[in-house]
Amino acid sequence: MTLEKAFEELEEIIKKMNDREVSLDDSFALYTEGTKLLKYCNEQLDAVEKKMLVLSEEGELHEF
Amino acid sequence: MKNVYSVGQVNTYIKNMFQQDYLLNRLYIKGEVSNCKYHTSGHLYFSLKDETGSIACVMFASQRGNLKFRMQEGQRVIVLGSVRVYERDGKYQFYASEIVQDGVGLLYERFQALKSELEEMGMFAPEYKKKIPAYCKTVGVVTAPTGAAIRDIMNISSRRNPYVQLILYPALVQGEQAAASIVKGIQMLDALHPDVIIVGRGGGSMEDLWAFNEEEVARAIFHCETPVISAVGHETDTTIADYVADLRAPTPSAAAELAVYNLHEILEKQASCKERMDQALYHKVQYLKKALETYELRLQTFSPKQQLLEKRTLAADLQTQLDQSMKNNLREKRFLLQMYIEKFNGLSPLKKLNQGYSFVADRDGKAVTSIEKVHPGEELTLHVTDGEIRATVQETKGIVRI
Repeated sequence: MTLEKAFEELEEIIKKMNDREVSLDDSFALYTEGTKLLKYCNEQLDAVEKKMLVLSEEGELHEF
Repeated sequence: MKNVYSVGQVNTYIKNMFQQDYLLNRLYIKGEVSNCKYHTSGHLYFSLKDETGSIACVMFASQRGNLKFRMQEGQRVIVLGSVRVYERDGKYQFYASEIVQDGVGLLYERFQALKSELEEMGMFAPEYKKKIPAYCKTVGVVTAPTGAAIRDIMNISSRRNPYVQLILYPALVQGEQAAASIVKGIQMLDALHPDVIIVGRGGGSMEDLWAFNEEEVARAIFHCETPVISAVGHETDTTIADYVADLRAPTPSAAAELAVYNLHEILEKQASCKERMDQALYHKVQYLKKALETYELRLQTFSPKQQLLEKRTLAADLQTQLDQSMKNNLREKRFLLQMYIEKFNGLSPLKKLNQGYSFVADRDGKAVTSIEKVHPGEELTLHVTDGEIRATVQETKGIVRI
């Protein structure tokens, strides 16, 4: 799943959670789902600073 | 024979005339190159010609720095220089100080031709445009390893999101090999499957940017599996690559802004999602609590105990109303009675008896109101205030009262 899709689903979840017709049980389930998605988003960020790589003509990668 | 001049005199005279001419001392001439000879001395001899004729030209070795390309037969060039007389041969020729290719017009024609050709093939069609992913993790870059373009891209990328991986294919972006180099860069980066590829270079003349107008580059962009953002020159420069690319960025900096998502924005978005979820849950609980309270209240209202209490209160109310009505009724009746009593009192014959009158009744207790009602010998009863008197009628006598 892409980050974009994850955010789309989060929006959907929040929308449902704000629906008065949705039961408390379902709300809790949605909340759990949303928390998972947020965790996934966080993992996707891959919080490691990157140095630019250079691709050589031979197809090798090395630092700039 | 007067006025006979030597050859030298005439040539010198003409030479001076040329020298004094403002235009001939500095002018641009355009034409097609012919008889081009690079002399071992470093001087360059050639002719410029058009449909009407030709002019001999020379560029001395000392000026050769102002010729940036290898001049060849048939090229269309624009030459800056001066027309002077070469006295030895009695010829005038053009002394070049600067030569540029008269390409722009030509290039523009080629650009237009290729553009309409590729457009007809559908290579610019919107349905082929791939969407640029909103959150790219790896961004390929095809540009020169030196120069403003890559520096701008690196700066903007690290400022917006240092977690994004840039991969540069150091390409030649100018000159004859540029197109092939750019094509190779696109293909090699595409094989690494980055999320997006930026293809571009900094600003320059139309000739400098020409590689991005080459068909092979256009085809490489078109066939690239990865979405491509073009970023060639400045805002005003539009190349074929821009038309084929999935997205056109006006500058390399702008391309970096488009390709690299802002980390801070995403972190804020995450935080906001979390907060909105918490809020939604909190509100849901609050809402249900409130609903529960309402139900409790309604249940209480309809409980048998409450019902009983209400009925009892109602009964008590009705009782009070009944009592009140009764009392009112009695009071009214008593008042009426009093009225009647007073009225009767006023009408009572007994009152009149008090003043010396009496009530005369016959045997049947009927009032005797006329002499016609009695006969002599008949017994009568006279009612007075303190009792009755029995009397007998002796005689009747009529009186006429006025």
